[in-house]
Order: sequence, then structure tokens, then C-alpha cells
Amino acid sequence: MKRRIALALALAICLTLVCSVALADKVTVNFFHRWPNEPKNSYINGLIEEFEAANPDIDIVSDCVLNDSYKEKIRVLVSTDDLPDVFFSWSGAFGENLTKSGRVLPLDDVLAADPEWASQIVESQWAPFNYSGKQYGTPWSMDGKAFFYNVDVFNELGLTVPTTLSELYAVCETLKENGYDEPISAGFSAQWAVSHYLGTICQRVVDPEVLANDYMNGGDFSDPAYITALNIFKDLGQYMTADPCSVDHEFARNAFIMEVSPICYMQLAEIKYLRDDAEFEYSFFNFPAVEDGKGDPGQLTGAPEGMMISATAEPAVQEAAIKFMKFVISKEGGYNLIAKTGEISCVKGAWDETNCDAKQLEAIDLILASTQPAVWQDCATDATIANAFMAGGQLLLTGDMTAEDVMASVQTAAAALK
Amino acid sequence: MKGNPPIVKPDLFPEVTVVQTRRAGMNGIVPYLYVIPCILLLGIFVYIPLVVNFYYSTLNFSAFSPAKTFVGLQNYRELIADPVIRTALINNVWYCVISVIFQVGLSLCIAAVLEDKLFRRVSTVLRTMYFLPVLISMTVVALLFSFVYHPKIGLINAGLKLIGLGHLAHAWTGATDTAIFSAIAMSQWHSMGYTMMLFIVAIQGISEDLYEAAEIDGAGRLRRFIHVTLPQVREMAFVTMVTTVTGAFLVFNDVYILTGGGPGNASTTLAVYMYKNGFALDKMGYASTIAVLMLIICMILALIQNNAFRSGKGD
Repeated sequence: MKRRIALALALAICLTLVCSVALADKVTVNFFHRWPNEPKNSYINGLIEEFEAANPDIDIVSDCVLNDSYKEKIRVLVSTDDLPDVFFSWSGAFGENLTKSGRVLPLDDVLAADPEWASQIVESQWAPFNYSGKQYGTPWSMDGKAFFYNVDVFNELGLTVPTTLSELYAVCETLKENGYDEPISAGFSAQWAVSHYLGTICQRVVDPEVLANDYMNGGDFSDPAYITALNIFKDLGQYMTADPCSVDHEFARNAFIMEVSPICYMQLAEIKYLRDDAEFEYSFFNFPAVEDGKGDPGQLTGAPEGMMISATAEPAVQEAAIKFMKFVISKEGGYNLIAKTGEISCVKGAWDETNCDAKQLEAIDLILASTQPAVWQDCATDATIANAFMAGGQLLLTGDMTAEDVMASVQTAAAALK
Repeated sequence: MKGNPPIVKPDLFPEVTVVQTRRAGMNGIVPYLYVIPCILLLGIFVYIPLVVNFYYSTLNFSAFSPAKTFVGLQNYRELIADPVIRTALINNVWYCVISVIFQVGLSLCIAAVLEDKLFRRVSTVLRTMYFLPVLISMTVVALLFSFVYHPKIGLINAGLKLIGLGHLAHAWTGATDTAIFSAIAMSQWHSMGYTMMLFIVAIQGISEDLYEAAEIDGAGRLRRFIHVTLPQVREMAFVTMVTTVTGAFLVFNDVYILTGGGPGNASTTLAVYMYKNGFALDKMGYASTIAVLMLIICMILALIQNNAFRSGKGD
């Protein structure tokens, strides 16, 4: 009996030693993302399994929480030494704030060492992850905001796609005359929806240099063009859903799908909601050029989401994390991303008729045709300034504030940051 | 000659004395031993965070970065000058006043009515009906009411149109003048059943003799309510008043889910504004300052109520 016990103990010790040696040889990479929901969670888990099978010496340990929780958690993690080795980030100011911790790895050397991989990514999507001349994030998926319109209604009324703001007003007037009291479906109960409109209009109207300085370099937002932009938003409001601040964006989208309103300003990623439910022909166009506007009308509002690497990870772990990032952001990974989740990959050639429907291909063409992505306003500037725009934008529509009042509150918010 | 041996007083119970002394010593320590876990837990989870929060309110820092800048009373100066704080305070005061009227005043009346002999047969059914909303999570209630208040498909506007009052239809949560009252109304619907139940328990504890004596003296229902029920439920009224008033100044879920504090900041409350500053605007120091303001308000109100009700003291 004693001999058996001794034998069992010896065996257990040997097994433990073998396992320890095996695990010691494995590099563990902590991956943090924001998709506990389907279908993205399955897609990510599938990628991890594939990667681990191809790289038996690397163990990917993933953790995930949904959007707002992710924002809070990653903000806290980046200020500690527990930053995950590879993690998801939004572009623009959110990503830039993460990099200010000094714990995010600049990827310039990584890109220079593997130009073939870097050249696969759509060029225009790099800029929103470039801060102070350094590339901190790799774009993974791209999106854009466009006016979706009911082609059947447009054809019936002989309307053409507007290319200028005046033409858009004219289209809305015609729609109103023909019984569509609310030509543009809109819901602003969530403030981010306001920022999508205001961000685009400011980009079209305000001088690009002034805008860049105000958004990122502590400018004072004193340019009168902002007042013009806000008044355009208010003017558009008369064609939108009545009382838009008590309606959410989902309701607005459904009103478009139910053919209550023939136009709706939506993200291209929302095509998946229309695919099954819209019983009419639809298409989309970029926000029209604003006459006398100083901004580039070729830009498309929308920014990529991407991945970042921890600068504090051990070299071997960092190397494994970069390898995993390259695996995720690859042609094959991008192909499956579109096929399985409907999100548009930033990898060139990851899309074709086999994994995209006609509308998705049209959306990709719209993104590629744009001169540059214009980062969402709430990501493009400091949260306090963006908040002043969004809250003010709501009150502009309810009639409780004028454009001048809104800009005064924006200027106060900007001044407080100095 | 041997002298008489000295008289030694025999120590009959030497061990007992030592044990008694030890016991006396232990008896002095034992009560403290019992309260140590409580003090430790309260200290770690309540008092230390309170003190640390005071310290944080003198700093400017972001959750993105470990660096913290000492700014002294700058956050307090900003607090005084901030117009949104005024809006939030007014909204909290409205919340408080309306909640006291409904959750203390009206709940007590309903409880008294349900406990009246006239309603004994239906009181169980009514009690359950009034209490049911309490069992629903506030998140679910807020989502439910977002449909009730919806300007296009909402029950209220549809109901108004049905009875010919379509001109009163309104964007309840999307207009600055009604957004906060929409949230307050929802909160009353949700919480009245709870305070009503507390009052019912208190009323059931009142001796029947008092009512009989009052009845013999010729007191009607109203007089019995004023002169018997009201004084007897004073302690419970104090409890509900404290929880309602402090709850009104700490309210978060109801407003955050229903209106998000909008449009603009029209329906924001102190707690919503604190959360927004901390987690959306990343102004952790300023959020701590708002938390200090909320603590001071709640403490003052609790003290006032404590004195006003002379809680725990006889008449």
C-alpha cells in the first residue's frame, strides 16, 4: 500500500514538473476586447483557437466587457501595470488619451519591419491612430456615416441624390410637399447621435486648420463658422422627426425601415439591420457639400477601430502579441470578419462577392472613395468639449439655446481645459 | 517560649479572585472585541473612502493617467460657479419635495385607507397591486416608461388623443420643462408601494384599544387618523422620510436610464452629473467634489429630520 502511495506521489510530482516546464515554455498573451456579445464573440474565440493551433507555444488569454464598461476598465488599466498585452481601442482622442499614459507601444518599428503586412491596410485608415507623428494603433475595422435614402420614393418623386446642402433642403421640401412630414428620420435622446451630425457639419463648414487646432491643440473655438454649422443643424432639424430629443436612434432607424421617413443618417455598419427588414430599395450618399464651407466635402465621417500593444510587456510577450495582432488583422481574418459579423475590415482585398452583399460592397466603395475619414466628433476632441457640443446641440433643437449660446458653452469648456 | 504564630488570614478562594480579576479585565475588552469587525468593515468600506474622497476633491486627475495634480479648493470654486450644479440641485429638490408628498404623505393615507375596516375585504388585493411595481427592477421600469412617454407610440399621448385632449400631447422626456417631472412621476409609481407597506406594518402595530377609546369619545375616521394613527406611526414616518429625502438627493438610475440627464442637462441630478464627470468626461477630482456636496446635503438633511422628529424619544 505504502509503495503504491509513494509511486502515485512520484508520478504526480513528475507530471507537475513536466506541466510546469511545458507551461514555462509557453508565452501567455493577455488580450482584452469589447465583444462579449454575438456574433463577434464567437468570431474572436474562433480566431484565438486558430492562432493557438498554429502557434502552440503561445497561449492567448482573453477577457472582454461591453462598450461603456470597456471604456471605464481600459482607462483604469492603462494607468496601472496591469495593462493587457494586446487590446482593442477606438481611434481619435480616445486612443490618444490611452497613449498619453506612456504604456502603449509605438508601432512604427513594427510597420517598418514588415512593410508587406502594413501595406495591406487601407491607407486612409492609419491617420486616426497616428498621434504626435507616431503610429500607436493598427486599424482593424472601418465605418462611415451616410444619408440612407429610400430609392423607390426618390424615383417615384423624380428626386436625385443631393450633392449640396441646398439640394438636400430642396429634396426635403419636395418630400414634405408629398406627404412626408418628417423627411429625415432622427433620434437624439442619446447625445452621441447629435455629435455625428455636428461633427460632420463642422468638418464641412469650418476651416480644416482651425478645426484641427480647436479640436486637438487647445484652440478657443472662436471662429464664427461654428455658429454657421450649428444653424445648419438647426435648419436641418425642421425636416427631421418631431421632438427628436425624446426619440432614440433605434426608433429613427426603424421609422426609416417602416418607410415613415425616406431619409436617415446612419452608420454603414447598420446595413445589417436593413438587410432583412427593409422591403424597399435603398442606397446611401455622403453628407452633401456645404456652399461656402471651407472643409473638404470628400471626407466621410467615421473612424476605424483598431488594436494596440502594451509597451510594458516582456519582449517575448510583446513579440507574441504583435504576432497575434497581425494574425487578426490579416486578409483571412478580414474576410471572416465581414462574412461572420458584417463589420467592414480595413484589410484591402478582404472583401468580394463571396462574403459581402451588394450594399456592403457599395458601402466599401463609399469609404474608399472618401478622401479621408473624419473622426467622430465625440472621439475627435476632448470629452468636455464634445459634451458641450452634444448637450448644446440637443438644446438647440428644443429651442432652449441659440447657436451663440451653444458656442459660448463650448468656449467655456475649452477655456477650462487650459 | 514560642510566640503566638501570626494570624494569617486564609485566602480561601485564591483562584477565584484571579479568575474574577481576569474576567473583570476580559469583561472590559469583550464589548470592544464584538464591535471590532463592524468598526473594521465600516472603516474600510465607508469612513476611509469618505476621507479619501475629500482628499480626491482637492486634486485634478484622469483615470487614464496615474498622475494627480493638487489644486486645492479649485474644484469647489468650479462647483459654485457651475450652472449645471444649480440645475441638478433644483431637480433634486423637486425630486425630494414630490417624493415626500407621494411616498410619505400619500403612502400613509393609502395605508390608513387599506387598514380601515371598510376595505378589509379588498385590502390584500390592493396591497399586492400597489406593491408589485417595487418588485420590478428600476432599469426595467425606466425602459417601460420610455415607451409610456414616447411621443410617437407612447401610451400617454395615445390616451390623451383618445379622450380628445390631443393638444396636451407632449414630448415628455425630450422637452426641458417636463423631462425631470417625467422621471419623478415614474419614481413615485415605482416606490410608493414600498413606503405604503412600511406604514401598513406600523399601523397594524397600533393597539386597537386606542381606536376604540377614540371611537367612544366620538372621534370620526379623520379624527382617529389625525389623533391616533399619525402620532403612532411617527417613528415609521421618520424612517421613510429619511430614506425618501436622502434617496431623492442620491437618485441616479431613474434619471440616467430614462433621460440620460437630457435634453442638454435639463433633467440631470447631482448623482448623474457626478457619474458623467467621473466616467464620461474623465474629471475624477471634480466628480469627487460633487460627491462631497451630496454627502454634506444628505448629512444636513438627516440631522434636521432627526431633530424635527425627535426620533427615539418619547412624547
